[in-house]
Amino acid sequence: MSNRRKLSKTDLAALVGDLLAAGTNVIAPLRFADQGRTAIEYGPVRDPDEMVLDGPQPVRSLKEAVFPPTDVLFRWRQTKSKIEIEEVPATFPETVIVGARPCDAAALDVLDRVMGWDFRDEMWFGRRQATAVLSLACTSCDDSCFCTAVGLSPTATRGADWFLTPVDGGYEIDVLTPKGEALLERYKARCPDSDGPATRAAGVEEKVRANLDVRPEAVRAWIETHFEDAFWKRASLRCHGCGACAFVCPTCHCFDIVDEPDGIDHGTRRRNWDACQTNLFTLHASGHNPRKDQAARLRQRVLHKFGIYPSRFGEVLCTGCGRCVRVCAAGMDLVAILAEIGRAATEEGGAR
Amino acid sequence: MQELKELAKKLLEEKQVSAILGYEYGRLGPRPAFATTISDCDRLVFDHRCVHNLAAYLSPRRTQVAQLGRLAVVVKACDARAVAGLIRESQLKREDVVLIGVRCGGVVRDPAADQQLDAGTVAPRCLECEKREPALADHLVGEAKPAPPGNAARDARIAEIETMSPEQRLALWTSLLERCTRCHACRQVCPMCFCERCIAEKTQPAWIETSPHARGNFAWHLTRALHLAGRCVNCGECERACPAQIPLGLLNRKLARVMADRFGYRVTDDPSAPAPIGAYRLDDEQEFIL
Repeated sequence: MSNRRKLSKTDLAALVGDLLAAGTNVIAPLRFADQGRTAIEYGPVRDPDEMVLDGPQPVRSLKEAVFPPTDVLFRWRQTKSKIEIEEVPATFPETVIVGARPCDAAALDVLDRVMGWDFRDEMWFGRRQATAVLSLACTSCDDSCFCTAVGLSPTATRGADWFLTPVDGGYEIDVLTPKGEALLERYKARCPDSDGPATRAAGVEEKVRANLDVRPEAVRAWIETHFEDAFWKRASLRCHGCGACAFVCPTCHCFDIVDEPDGIDHGTRRRNWDACQTNLFTLHASGHNPRKDQAARLRQRVLHKFGIYPSRFGEVLCTGCGRCVRVCAAGMDLVAILAEIGRAATEEGGAR
Repeated sequence: MQELKELAKKLLEEKQVSAILGYEYGRLGPRPAFATTISDCDRLVFDHRCVHNLAAYLSPRRTQVAQLGRLAVVVKACDARAVAGLIRESQLKREDVVLIGVRCGGVVRDPAADQQLDAGTVAPRCLECEKREPALADHLVGEAKPAPPGNAARDARIAEIETMSPEQRLALWTSLLERCTRCHACRQVCPMCFCERCIAEKTQPAWIETSPHARGNFAWHLTRALHLAGRCVNCGECERACPAQIPLGLLNRKLARVMADRFGYRVTDDPSAPAPIGAYRLDDEQEFIL
């Protein structure tokens, strides 16, 4: 299903204004500035003019719109031996994401697999259903982008309800899902029919391809047969073991559950983002840690994304956004790591 | 930098050390590197983009690095202050490490983005730096360097915050710390955050809530700042590593000022200089004791 429409920049701003006026949450890339540093982050829009749709990739991924860094599961109150549970409301506000990166929109779809697998995560799907994703084709990339190596592209429409392609003065819109159709129905007046072919920005995809040329199947085959390889230690020595890579990742979804007292007799159960690169992640109460060093933790991260997830859900847990590379203070570089694994796989010939 | 490479090779050949911890050029700029063979040494570099404080790898919690054996480490003057801190606080023995001091004229803020060193790209920590080379070093390499570009107006922001009312400061830090997701990059890159079990990881009781809400974030960042008072070497790594771009250095530099004002103490690369946190002086001010 595809319905081609067009939308001028002024009408996009007006459409966002309409949404805000109707009480809909709008999330878009915004600019933050402090101490001479600036960053683009997805955030709640208060004024359509704040949106930065042509800037660099937001530092953090879009996942927090659906899976916030901390989320209340329920509240409890204890009176003598009795515990009362107060459920949190299971309704989620209607939200429209404007200017999602294709790698971020695809990640939501990738995560639907695990979130609806053995246990259906109501918080995830509640927000997913209330959220429409308007993706925007990438017109630029940098040295860390590698979406083309994991089956996506700067114009990948996966996970998008509308896909916007920049053209002179505005956007061509592909309306891709029933949710997208419903949104269009409300704002049809601003989006006239378009018969013109969307002109894709030339050259971006080629630049991304040049960053990394590796087949995920080859990476998987090599990892699954090189569990104890010296490579892991060599590649992980510089890692500081923080959670920055996992926290900016659009597909990392591990969480920790904590009970926090808010007073003597009442408190909150929350779930918070967690990261497999930290020592504490697998530390047992006994003091034993099955992933005893950074080599084991790096292997876990790469194995989960390129081995375990594909074995369970048929696709990699990575959309090639490159955030983990950009954000790492120690220069850990997943692009270089995957390239080296790809080279080793080719040399050993076992992966073909 | 041939001099550095030759020295590294010599140290390995003479078996003075089993690895050199320095910098190499990665795809996106310089990054920490461990050279364990003579040919590895040819990868070693040093320039104004080598921002990382390598002393972080010397803390005892880096078990994999410790397994490499005796290390030689490339240190700028600021990094040497961290090495001195580790020695001062009994985390490292001076004789267990060979220090290759590098002459430094300042480094950039972002090694991946900033190519040239100028007033616009210089790292904040360099603006008041008076040391072009570390005193704590076994070897010293590189040519003499000029002072870093830029002016010493780095702490205008602290002066500005000092004029604010407590309510305004609370509002400022609430908005800054709101962005923290508790990835703990600030702690992991910090050479002085070497606790085997951080107080933020303790659960019985949970002194610091792990949730990234206002309560947890304030507890974490203020506790960390207090733990670093008189210890922070002002390498700026926490601020550089923060994916949320929180200006953590403001807290640390403010506390460094307090330590200077109250105790006349500035963090140095002399490991024998007693730090206020571990020293007792009869003439310490104690007017707050009633």
